[in-house]
Amino acid sequence: MITRIARKEFTEMVRDGRFRVAAALVMALLVAALAAGWKHHVDSTAQRLTAERITRAQWLNQGARNPHSAAHYGVWAFRPQSPLASIDPGIEKYVGTAVWLEAHRQNEFRYKPASDATAAARFGELTAAVVLQLLLPLVIVLLSFGAFAAERDNGTLRQLLSLGVSRSDLALGKALGVASALAVLLVPATALGIAALALSAGTSGWGDGPLRLWLMGLGYLLYFGAFVGLSIAVSARARSAQLALVVLVGFWIVNGLVAPRAVADLARGAFPGPSSFAFTQAVREDITRGADGHNSSDKRLDDLKAAVLKKYGVKRVEDLPVNFDALSLQAGEDYGNTVYDKHYTRLWDTYRNQNAVHQWGAAVAPLLAVRSLSMGLAGSDFEQHRHFATAAENHRRLINRIANEEMLKTEYNNWNDEVPAETWAKFPEFRYGPPGVDWVLGQYLPSIGLMLAWCVLATAAAYWATGRLRPS
Amino acid sequence: MLEAIDLTKNYGTPVPSLDQLNLRIEPGEVFCLLGPNGAGKTTTISLFLGFSAPTAGIARIGSLDVQTHPLETKRLVAYIPEQVMLYRNLTGLENLEYFSALAGQDRYGKEELLGFFDGVGLSREAALRRVGTYSKGMRQKVGIAMAVAKRATALLLDEPTSGLDPKASNEFSQLLLRLSGAGVAVLMATHDLFRAKEAGTRVGIMKAGRLLTTARTADLTHADLERLYLESMAAGIPDGSPLEEVAL
Repeated sequence: MITRIARKEFTEMVRDGRFRVAAALVMALLVAALAAGWKHHVDSTAQRLTAERITRAQWLNQGARNPHSAAHYGVWAFRPQSPLASIDPGIEKYVGTAVWLEAHRQNEFRYKPASDATAAARFGELTAAVVLQLLLPLVIVLLSFGAFAAERDNGTLRQLLSLGVSRSDLALGKALGVASALAVLLVPATALGIAALALSAGTSGWGDGPLRLWLMGLGYLLYFGAFVGLSIAVSARARSAQLALVVLVGFWIVNGLVAPRAVADLARGAFPGPSSFAFTQAVREDITRGADGHNSSDKRLDDLKAAVLKKYGVKRVEDLPVNFDALSLQAGEDYGNTVYDKHYTRLWDTYRNQNAVHQWGAAVAPLLAVRSLSMGLAGSDFEQHRHFATAAENHRRLINRIANEEMLKTEYNNWNDEVPAETWAKFPEFRYGPPGVDWVLGQYLPSIGLMLAWCVLATAAAYWATGRLRPS
Repeated sequence: MLEAIDLTKNYGTPVPSLDQLNLRIEPGEVFCLLGPNGAGKTTTISLFLGFSAPTAGIARIGSLDVQTHPLETKRLVAYIPEQVMLYRNLTGLENLEYFSALAGQDRYGKEELLGFFDGVGLSREAALRRVGTYSKGMRQKVGIAMAVAKRATALLLDEPTSGLDPKASNEFSQLLLRLSGAGVAVLMATHDLFRAKEAGTRVGIMKAGRLLTTARTADLTHADLERLYLESMAAGIPDGSPLEEVAL
């Protein structure tokens, strides 16, 4: 019975010229967005691999050199892009993908395409995620606003309800009809996505890519399910198809355009972040004056000197068996690290709190839930950016520590004293392993919960509304 | 078999839309409900279809109460409205197949379904066309074909011939007679005295929610029926008096 109803709904939709045009358009957009995302992924991965090779080769081929000079020369850390980021590039454009690891300083990320883009780019970015999160729900609304309302307008509903079909069969059949029309739209894109992912398997370092893809698909299915359920519920209750359409498009606008904007403002208002300038100032201040204001860099140096001289039982730093510059540099690193830890933790926790507002905003707009989840599973979200940034920073600290250990072997106050060319191979190459799926899901429990809740509530609403269906 | 026992529906107006209707239509009978707009004819049909709940009384199809067995009773009955509405993007055949399948008859092959079109006098060429081009007469015939295919034991018709030309209307009556000959109980609401006399075995005249008079059409001439109708309209509503069966 249910499949019979679904089949008829599907046949009607397919014979409707408007559906065919809309379907072709959305399918073309989706495939184009996927292809463009994929091209970007392939290109940027190739660039990253080349750049990683180059930065390593440059590091290794520095020749005989002073270790601290080498630490200033530094290395680049490049963030591997997840293949799924070709579906959902998330905040990648805004946070950048490369960071320079050098002495003394935890740098900000570079290569943010958004900073090169004009303001118009904010509106016109076509990604598969935008098509899925924004356009597909509109297609669902257009496919299903008439599910019951148009039958009521046309007069077929009275006859339909005189046949002795159970209301839940009707609701399920209608929903399944919309679902199969959607499936026709999505199958080519999904096949393309899976094929692309299979191609990239192994090269990306994202071993759990397939699992992430399935979960992402599941998230989107719940999102679409919620829209189908709501559309059917509204269609069953609305007095006319026209009214159903107005209500549903209204919800679509709130969900896709109003709520995301409003929640972003709310999040910034509730958890304001510092400007880039203010942040840098505060860090510099803490390092020169001391984090508590009583522990300036000059005083720290004097204290260190006194302690070291006492430990080795000598009067002058020149008499030390080790290079005092190396000890002083490492002490400076250690102190700087505590300052960076303090400031970056505060900064990143602010962003995490902002993201929590976004996640809970899904109580109003399911888009916010699916967007967070999609980004998270694509690995292009803030949390995984932070995960990478932390790993890169740890690598910077490691490099500096090794450099300062090498520095111990050089002469005090001779910044031109060199260590041999083989030294640089002692420094490990930066290797990044992205976090597992379970870690990612752990960050998005509110989104998962709210997405499930929307789906369950929408299904319940559809059942409730069809149970109270009036024939005319 | 269709049965109404003290069936009453009050939408909150001073005069109930349907007031204590008592009626029993046996298999093979065609009962025509006559009366002006607002007399309670459509309300009666809606109550038999379970589209609204009665304020008091019982509507039964077969031996089942419509209120307690909404799906089962709908399986027994076929409904043909004033305008049979069809899915315009589907062919006549697809419409019939869909409505029959939903009515529980999902085993018909294409030939059998086309046979139903033959039975109601619709061409096979028309059956394979999308129904957007159908005339009203053709739609009403599809309605009958749907009732036949459903194997309904009772038929509820709400002014099914209004707006049909005399030939289409006559063909419709012939089909009704065939169905009642096969043992279907038919309740038809209509304005058309002529059609009631031709197709009906009994008539009932309603006014303001009350069934005033019933009569056998075999006992009446067209003129008698018209006179009876006009007298009933002119008379005041008898207050709680029992229904009289008119014998002439």
